[in-house]
Amino acid sequence: MIQSIDYWAIAAPLILALTAGLVLVLDAFLPARVGGARNVLGLISLVGVLAALGVVAAQAVRGDELRTFCVPGAGASCSFVMDSFTEVFAGLTLVAGAVVILLSLAELAGGRIPVGEWYFLLLATLTGAVLLPAARDLVMLVVALELVSLPVFALTALRRYDGRASEAALKLFVVSVVSTAVMLFGVSLLYGMTGAVHLDRVAAALQPTYADGSASSSAQQLEITGAVLHNGSAVVTVGVVLVLAGFAFKVAAVPFHFWAGDVYEGAPVPVAALLSVISKAAGFAGLILVLSRALVSEAAAWTPLLAIIAALTMTVGNVLALRQRHAVRMLAWSSVAQSGYILAPLAVHLDIVSTMNQWVERGVVDVSSPDQAARAGLELSSISQVVELSNQAGVLGAVNASIAYLVFYAAMNLLAFAVVMLVSRRHPGNQLDDYRGLAFRSPGAALSLAFALICLAGLPPGLAGLFAKVVVFREIVAGGLGWLAIVMAINTVIGLYYYLAWTARLFTPAPAGDSRTVPAQQGRTPVVIAIGAALLVTVAFSVVPQLVLGTLG
Amino acid sequence: MTGYFGSYVVVAVLLGVGVAIFAGGLLANRLLRPDRPTAEKLTTYECGVDPVGEGWAQSQIRYYVFTYLYVVFAVDAVFLFPWATVFADPGFGLTTLVEMFVFLAFIALGILYAWRKRVLTWT
Repeated sequence: MIQSIDYWAIAAPLILALTAGLVLVLDAFLPARVGGARNVLGLISLVGVLAALGVVAAQAVRGDELRTFCVPGAGASCSFVMDSFTEVFAGLTLVAGAVVILLSLAELAGGRIPVGEWYFLLLATLTGAVLLPAARDLVMLVVALELVSLPVFALTALRRYDGRASEAALKLFVVSVVSTAVMLFGVSLLYGMTGAVHLDRVAAALQPTYADGSASSSAQQLEITGAVLHNGSAVVTVGVVLVLAGFAFKVAAVPFHFWAGDVYEGAPVPVAALLSVISKAAGFAGLILVLSRALVSEAAAWTPLLAIIAALTMTVGNVLALRQRHAVRMLAWSSVAQSGYILAPLAVHLDIVSTMNQWVERGVVDVSSPDQAARAGLELSSISQVVELSNQAGVLGAVNASIAYLVFYAAMNLLAFAVVMLVSRRHPGNQLDDYRGLAFRSPGAALSLAFALICLAGLPPGLAGLFAKVVVFREIVAGGLGWLAIVMAINTVIGLYYYLAWTARLFTPAPAGDSRTVPAQQGRTPVVIAIGAALLVTVAFSVVPQLVLGTLG
Repeated sequence: MTGYFGSYVVVAVLLGVGVAIFAGGLLANRLLRPDRPTAEKLTTYECGVDPVGEGWAQSQIRYYVFTYLYVVFAVDAVFLFPWATVFADPGFGLTTLVEMFVFLAFIALGILYAWRKRVLTWT
């Protein structure tokens, strides 16, 4: 039973993994010259990431769905699928990865961090983050998530003899290991109850039975009986909650958010950027995959929970951010708050039955004619296929609203981190007060940061943030979660305060006799390129948000 | 007591019998023996030699790396066992063999790295 492998489908993670191996070997065998080898390894990593990005772009342009690692036989379930969902997440990860590598070129110029290990670990994390959204079974999902997490501990601790970095790494390690253990327990319960690891098979096994006691065998039954009986035994519910808790740790959602501030502050700035964008995107990709593909029938169990977590996350994140004086720490709590906004649309109840009925009414699907149903590829025998279909028809906008917000958030947050990296080279303290008068010292950087902060706050002219928030609001209100929309509106106002306070600092004159500066080291150019790239993407998202909204449908 | 949990009854009974034999032996010993303790008799018995020092001992930190490498390889070797049971079966063949060597090559990469970084020399 050898599974055939489609090498074109797995090309992107494969390129990243091989580049990682190459970097490690080169680091071991290149003569240890000062400076030279350092940039060579960085450039090789950058080329590897861009090549993987090119592959993903080519796959997206060709537009066909690639599946591999399939179980042989009829009704094949595949473990690795390259579809538009995967491509959006992989593209986001790789662009963010390129920016992080550019920031690393500056971070490593200091010479305190071993170079080969840094890039190797960075590429390993990126491999995991590209692999994760393509994973369609629970085992691969967990393995990919670990591949994202494990190298980050080492990356955080790689600045040796730095107490804060070691503390941050240890905290991250403990939190991450506990969350993995919790999630594995949940996954094992789900596997035990359903006897399947592939997400579509789990969904089929959890498929609800209907009022007349039969399993739903046709669309008519969906239409007629209407009421879905909750099939979930208590064990399945426990499994769902544990899996949810595991992912909540990874995306730093309240009540599992405590690690964020210390870890972001202690880690080198590029690693903080990595944690807040790539690691978070991977966590959300896994969460969305599990919830929307495997656990749809359990929505009654997880939607209220998710709504409460989302409300708490945005509130606590914003309140904690209000009082921060450290730039990276503030961005850490702000990213916790942003996680809340991303979680909110997922809490919208995925009411499959009413969706189906709407379709039938609108005549999208004529269930009475088996002919047409077959032609449309409709075999409405399992909930997962219904979801797949509703995804295609764009009825299921809630998940897409989350993804859209995540993409917008990634662009603006990376821009903010890139400028923080630039400033931190002269002000290692990273205090918010160090940003006073930045508009007069380096206007380009100050304007970029101001734009990123206004985007994060969601004010014009930062239209990217505004569009993201509007999309999320629309989904929440349409989904009937009015109270969550009100909580989010209040939080947006709280957020305005600290984002604008920071922006205002940029334009106030610096106090005279500021002594906490150090002479800037070499390696300014890559940071400037990173800022330029992030700014370009953010401005593009602000001017033509259809780039994201259109792709997601 | 039938079914799934019933099959564990045998284990529980066996455990009970084991504990009973062990505890019974010690109890019989205690009831039958004379008991005249002295300070000498109550010291820790160490093959007739006087006990010296603490129970804690330090080992050389250099062993740590080798222990670590051993654990890595021991864990990786576990993956060879399920493979070894099937690779000669019909339907498997050269591909299966090559796949395992790809896996081993990745581990070898780690050893190569450790060797170049002078982890393996006894410093």
